[in-house]
Amino acid sequence: MDEFNIVLAGVGGQGILLASEILGTAAVKEGLNVRVSEIHGMAQRGGAVVSNVRIGDKVLAPTVLEGKADVLLGFEPLETLRNLKFASEKTLVLMNDETVPPTELMRTMKKYPSLNEITEKIHRFTRKLIVVKAADLALKAGNILTRNAALIGALAATGNLPVKVESLEEALRELVPAKYLEVNLKAFKLGFEAVGENKSSRF
Amino acid sequence: MRLSNEGENPLPNLRVLLSDEPRKRVLLLGNEAIARGILEAGIGVVTTYPGTPASEIGDSVSAIAEEAGLYMEYSTNEMVAVEVAAGVVNCGVRALTAMKHVGLNVAADAVMTLAYIGVRGGYVIVTADDPQCYSSQNEQDNRFYALLSNLPCLEPSTPQEAKDMTVSAVELSEELGLPVLLRTTTRVNHTRGPVVYGNLTKPKLKGEFVREPSRLVMVPANARPMHVKLLEKAEKAEEISEKSPYNTVVCKGNGELGIICSGSAYNYAAEATSLLGLDVGILKLGMTHPLPERMIGEFLKAYKKIVVVEELEPYLEMNVKAIAKDYAPTVEIYGKMRRSYFPRKGELSTRAVVTGLAEITGKKPPIDFGEIDSKYAEAVKDLPSRPPILCPGCPHRASFYVIRKVTGGKAVYPTDIGCYALGFAPPLSIGDILICMGSSVSTAQGINKATGVDTVAVVGDSTFFHAAIPGLVNAVYNNHKVTLAVLDNLTTAMTGHQPHPGTGTTGMHTTATKVLIEKVAEGCGVKYVRVVNPFNIDEASRVLKEAVQYPGPSVVVFRAPCTLMLMSEKRRKGIKTVPCRVTDRCTNCMACIKLLGCPAIIIKDGKVSIDETLCTACGLCASICPYKAIECGGS
Repeated sequence: MDEFNIVLAGVGGQGILLASEILGTAAVKEGLNVRVSEIHGMAQRGGAVVSNVRIGDKVLAPTVLEGKADVLLGFEPLETLRNLKFASEKTLVLMNDETVPPTELMRTMKKYPSLNEITEKIHRFTRKLIVVKAADLALKAGNILTRNAALIGALAATGNLPVKVESLEEALRELVPAKYLEVNLKAFKLGFEAVGENKSSRF
Repeated sequence: MRLSNEGENPLPNLRVLLSDEPRKRVLLLGNEAIARGILEAGIGVVTTYPGTPASEIGDSVSAIAEEAGLYMEYSTNEMVAVEVAAGVVNCGVRALTAMKHVGLNVAADAVMTLAYIGVRGGYVIVTADDPQCYSSQNEQDNRFYALLSNLPCLEPSTPQEAKDMTVSAVELSEELGLPVLLRTTTRVNHTRGPVVYGNLTKPKLKGEFVREPSRLVMVPANARPMHVKLLEKAEKAEEISEKSPYNTVVCKGNGELGIICSGSAYNYAAEATSLLGLDVGILKLGMTHPLPERMIGEFLKAYKKIVVVEELEPYLEMNVKAIAKDYAPTVEIYGKMRRSYFPRKGELSTRAVVTGLAEITGKKPPIDFGEIDSKYAEAVKDLPSRPPILCPGCPHRASFYVIRKVTGGKAVYPTDIGCYALGFAPPLSIGDILICMGSSVSTAQGINKATGVDTVAVVGDSTFFHAAIPGLVNAVYNNHKVTLAVLDNLTTAMTGHQPHPGTGTTGMHTTATKVLIEKVAEGCGVKYVRVVNPFNIDEASRVLKEAVQYPGPSVVVFRAPCTLMLMSEKRRKGIKTVPCRVTDRCTNCMACIKLLGCPAIIIKDGKVSIDETLCTACGLCASICPYKAIECGGS
């Protein structure tokens, strides 16, 4: 495999860096070459966060080229839109429907766009869109902070990733602190089932 | 990132860095790879001041230092960090100091003359540059510090190289008797990639100080001959550069086009040429000071056209053009001088390199970027921005509210480097000028001198110790009227909660004497010094008013712990947080939203509401609500 590109986008505090590391670790476990690119710093919470995971023999650059994402994993709808430049008609967009309204909207009394408007914009780039209720799944698992595990599970169920489900689970076991492991594994499973049950959403 | 902080930050178990399994292959962040390199190089002492994108080097070492048997410290600032290490390496013990690029400005005074003195134990100075200013006030290119100081410079392009070069830098340092700069960029520091381990070397912690005044005491009579020695060492370094395995022709191509690049730029150049289907030669430079003149000269001779691909300033291009004059005066050289094929600002990307190379070669890029741009621009039109903001529950929000309320927005508010720099944005709007670490208190004095307007300078706790004290002494000595608001959240928050002189703990997780900001201020001769809790709005306002009216310099310490730290501790202790609640007394006046900009206060179905998952129950909104319509119960 030459390259497989994943763009993860969301809001600081949603667990994007850990999700990226899980994907990267799973790739290394399978002996694959990988680059995971993150931006740390300025915002501890609340700012837009993007991370790139690139897997494959030819991968050198840490960042994904415009139009070349195989997967856009959106942790938040507005941030998913903000990263559509990486998408093409080949891109699978897997999006959490949980909205985090930017404070600018509150101050200017503007409305958060509807899910329909967001979907329409994503469809301009690709028809391959799966919407996941990751926050509900995380809460069902027992902790809202496991939405990242739920999303990784959902992504694994699409069968699109170049790494095995077992490697992802193994990476999760390695990276998540012991006392949070069980709830994360549960969220991963719920995410996997949520997409797995809906066969029509497979690509 | 630190083990002591697990629970809050569920990131990797850094014990993987300690593994004594050579050839083990693991996924490491560039900064973690440097930490592994420290263990493989047998470095005994690591000093640092945290700063993005370098912070995780020190943090990773702090997490494992005791077990690895080495000493690390968070020094007060980068200059102190270099000076401590200068003592260490001149006793024959190996050391590394890590800092962000602007930290080297602070340390430069020490570094420039340490270059004359040299080292006995290997010494590496990591300078982490930040093209694109992801988390910095400028994007200076620190390769020029290598040129300025005559120190060797290595530039990794991947986490693997970051680790390997840390080890090589120590060897090079000992071979030459010089400190070595390891220059990284954000995309190396903050990229994870596979790293294959080498052997661990047991760190040596104890050395011996040998009196050698002619080498170590840089009075003019000694400095002159040591400058000559430095220039001799630089010549020797150039010979090493000619043979360095890090300077290498990666591929030869068909002789038409040759690319010269270094660091992260290599990654983009390699992918860009492959995308464009170009059969090029690539000279990848990992040791970028001194440059291998003969090697570059021979490379220039072998091609019709040369393209220099590098991030930020045309450092390589200037040198390559000078070398071309002697070796290949007719070769065409493309880069960013005179005509700019690549951007001189911001970070490079595969796209930027594809675009530049396409222009030079006349090849058509395989991707229509223009089409993507216009389609994208259409899709994100009117998309609200999401800049970094103060966290819900951040005590700085309360401090800014108080400062604004007391001064009515009429004072000038110089600010400083830290989370609180985010206070410049509406609605808090406290932050009128920001230059560098510690600048607020001094800049305020100049503004007051020039205008007579009241100034309230803002500085954080860690930054106060780092660089604000001389400015405060200046205010006392020259009797400047300035109020310094020290926003003390008891940690170095923005870079990941490192300890500092005021926290009572060290990088080795031992307890330390707390250096109290209020005592320092009193010791500096400030007559009006008070400590307040920013969440106690009335008391804090009364004190700040007094401080601003005080005829000479005054200091108010707004002290309350960083909310992330506080929440993490509550979770650890199993204390539940009961979020604040908007009651039916709410008139939707929006005062809370308009005055505080807290991300936990949202509008739901047209009504002010509180996001329970974000609210930390700090109570600020409850205490400023004009209708007492927000209830903030116990926690």
